[in-house]
Amino acid sequence: MRWSALVVGVAFGFFLTGSGLGNYHTIHQGLLLRDPYIYLMMAATIATAATGIALLRRRGHTLFGEPLVIPRHPVRRQAVYGGAVFGVGFGVGATCPGITVAAIATGAWWGGLVLLGILGGLWLRGRAERRVREVGQRPPRRVPTA
Amino acid sequence: MLQVIAGQLPWWVAGPGVGLCVVALYALANAKLGVSGGWLQLLFVAERRPVTEPWRLWFTGGLVAGAFLAAGLGAGRVSGYGALSRHLPVPLLALVLLAVGVLIGYGARWAGGCTSGHGISGCSAGSPESFAATATFFLVAIVVTVLVHLLSGGAV
Repeated sequence: MRWSALVVGVAFGFFLTGSGLGNYHTIHQGLLLRDPYIYLMMAATIATAATGIALLRRRGHTLFGEPLVIPRHPVRRQAVYGGAVFGVGFGVGATCPGITVAAIATGAWWGGLVLLGILGGLWLRGRAERRVREVGQRPPRRVPTA
Repeated sequence: MLQVIAGQLPWWVAGPGVGLCVVALYALANAKLGVSGGWLQLLFVAERRPVTEPWRLWFTGGLVAGAFLAAGLGAGRVSGYGALSRHLPVPLLALVLLAVGVLIGYGARWAGGCTSGHGISGCSAGSPESFAATATFFLVAIVVTVLVHLLSGGAV
């Protein structure tokens, strides 16, 4: 599993960086609705992956013969709350957890600071969820504010 | 080094390439491609907590290697941080980018995924939750970007 993950990771990093998404300009122009590149790429990605996933679901097991289940999840509130917080960072920085690596690799060293912030944000959210559990209040998905 | 990419791959190459990565990870390892989960595992390492999904560290290591490979094969070079580094003094830029990261990390863990886990993998699998998360972060990002653009007089 680790070798598969490594090899696919290399390919993913290659295409992500080759797409030029590591350049602030590419995503910023997309979010200003001036350049369709990010939407065309996203559509092509999903069309390809959805086709492959449909075939894999029909097959029902991995190439190594293990049972394969690709689940669908009903909407939980935290997907929307978290998505909104994520969207603010995505909008201001024109970057995301994978693309910041593409930025760093192509010379935008400032991406390192974004990455540091991402680790900090992941830690903060973990702390918030632990606190809610410890106090024994309502589950984390019902916490109304960030 | 060999110029394979010549600046930017067309969307009809990069898109299907990324899509095949999602399919390959399911086909080989029954695993859902996502990046923020990998950073979370790295956080566990830093916190000296048990790594719950070791494969994610391998995937993220591969992602870093692949990114530098693409850069070596001609992916467009970038310097500074776009319009932000042209208009913000360095200390403020540093603060803004750190805050950007915190929002992204916090939101991704809250939502259970980011642009890759929800936006690409979840949407491709037809997961309603991923549609909701993806629609939310794209809409919010577009509104925020347009607002910042207008408030800065078109500078950013």
